[in-house]
Amino acid sequence: MQLDLHAADYAIISLYFVFVLGVGWLVKRKVKTSNDYLMSGRSVPLWITSLAFISANLGAQEVIGMAASGAKYGIMTSHFYWIGAIPAMIFLGVLMMPFYYGSKARSVPEYLKLRFDEKTRSLNAISFAAMTVFSSGISMYVLARLLELILGWDFDLSVLLSAGIVMGYIFLGGLTSAVYNEVLQFFLIVLGIAPVVFVGLHEVGGWDGIVAKLSPPMTSSWRYMDEAGHNPMGVSTGMLVAGSLASSFGYWCTDFLVVQRAMIARNLADARKTPILAAVPKMLMPFIVIFPGLIFMALPHFSSGFSIPVGADGAPDFNMALPSLIAHYYPTGLLGVGLTALLASFMSGMAGNVTAFNTIWTFDIYQPYFVKNASDRHYLWVGKLTTVAGIVLSIGVAYLAAGFNNINDFLQVVFSFVNAPLFATFLLGMFWKRATGHGAFAGLLGGTLAAAAVHGLTVAEGKGGWIAPVFELGSGLSHAFNMAWIAFSANIVVTILVSLATKPAAPGSLTGLVYGLTPKVTDEPKAWYLRPVPLAIAVAVACLILNLMFA
Amino acid sequence: MEKLSDLRFIIGLFFAIVGALLVLLAFTATYGPGFGKNLNLYSGLVMLVFGIFMLWLNRRG
Repeated sequence: MQLDLHAADYAIISLYFVFVLGVGWLVKRKVKTSNDYLMSGRSVPLWITSLAFISANLGAQEVIGMAASGAKYGIMTSHFYWIGAIPAMIFLGVLMMPFYYGSKARSVPEYLKLRFDEKTRSLNAISFAAMTVFSSGISMYVLARLLELILGWDFDLSVLLSAGIVMGYIFLGGLTSAVYNEVLQFFLIVLGIAPVVFVGLHEVGGWDGIVAKLSPPMTSSWRYMDEAGHNPMGVSTGMLVAGSLASSFGYWCTDFLVVQRAMIARNLADARKTPILAAVPKMLMPFIVIFPGLIFMALPHFSSGFSIPVGADGAPDFNMALPSLIAHYYPTGLLGVGLTALLASFMSGMAGNVTAFNTIWTFDIYQPYFVKNASDRHYLWVGKLTTVAGIVLSIGVAYLAAGFNNINDFLQVVFSFVNAPLFATFLLGMFWKRATGHGAFAGLLGGTLAAAAVHGLTVAEGKGGWIAPVFELGSGLSHAFNMAWIAFSANIVVTILVSLATKPAAPGSLTGLVYGLTPKVTDEPKAWYLRPVPLAIAVAVACLILNLMFA
Repeated sequence: MEKLSDLRFIIGLFFAIVGALLVLLAFTATYGPGFGKNLNLYSGLVMLVFGIFMLWLNRRG
């Protein structure tokens, strides 16, 4: 599949690059301190924090990957949103944000330092920093490969171009610049991909047309979940709920990349509303990112001249679902917009990771371990240089991934071990005042070991089982879900046992960090639609309705 | 300068330009059979209206 770009398409892509860099140049004047640079001075308006909250995560994995999942698993892919992300985002806003924002911590690891101790913070900060560099490098690699495939662009050129632009705007304007661009990217992705859905649905005869052409398990999100073997995802309802509770709450409630977007709000009420309001566009994203996958599968049944692209092994290449639809439908002009939307999704993935990396490095690694009491100017420059270093390291990862595909898989598995137990630590930290630093640290290690053990003892789709292939699971997803809930449970058990055996924190040292020891918030707005909790209930009801509509 | 660095202005200007370009292309370029022309026209109109709306919010705000 090769796309032909014309002058108008290049003009649109170039215009986007000019705007992205222009944003960096415009917000540069506002950046005076390290807090401005790394935390946007905690002064970003609510509508911007909310859209940035979902846009930071709207990377390539989501845009290309969800269309691929939609083609592979059908509408069940919506579980990642309607049972995974949305409940987690509501939970973060209602129950966890008071502690993140209220503690005045500048990062998620810094919260762990305040609540537990230095070693728990370091464990989280170092593994997280490594993960952000890795993710941003992978984003760069996938982008360059895709451009090579569909446009014939040179791999090196694509890597240098995307890295240079992201470095340019973050170096200039820091987090504010990244967040502003994330909002621009959000609209670009929605407006650039929605036409595929409109025209595709039009051609296949709407949702009814998709239902008529695809097998029933592809078009019902809940009906075939009684048993793992009955649906394309290979998971049952119990597994889905347990696994998604542990894994998606682990991501949305503890990953600094997204939580940072709420921590820069103007006040606590706005910080709490950030993920709750973000849940509204988030729950509609399946229509933009999953529907292309369903259309992709249904379209060849019509005389549309569309055929499913196949990979090198002759099997359907689901990752090409969205790019191939764009190539099929878009004329010069809109094609430029569609491609810019794809570029934007990769760049926002990179930028989100780099801005999380420079904050964590500066505040959680450099400041406590290297140079403690320097001037603010010093830390501002450390932040800026870390941005450059983060991008350079990402480029290294991109080439590493290009050279050794196994390293990529291996690192992804290692990171999943580290991530799986995280949510349990924050849950106990925020809601059980007896949890201690030693307990949290041991729990994180125990959870990680448990995840590794599950991975080593089970096999799914030919992966895992490196200790001994004792259990066989139906799908990679059920593998991941099992790992998530077992790691979560192991962390809970270990943290509780070790906490009870160690000395509790001094009374008074946990004020503002734990439920029950934090004064109730009183500065809440009056009208119900401005208060976090009623808003959260409204969002939850809307999400429930979506689940029922496609059940 | 304060109004120019407002995010609504940046987003509004971007989509107004891109939308206008697509509408222009819809009337000037040649299209084969299929949805090409209408895709440029309607997507362009939506982007143009969205861009102008953001610019209006920026002027008002």
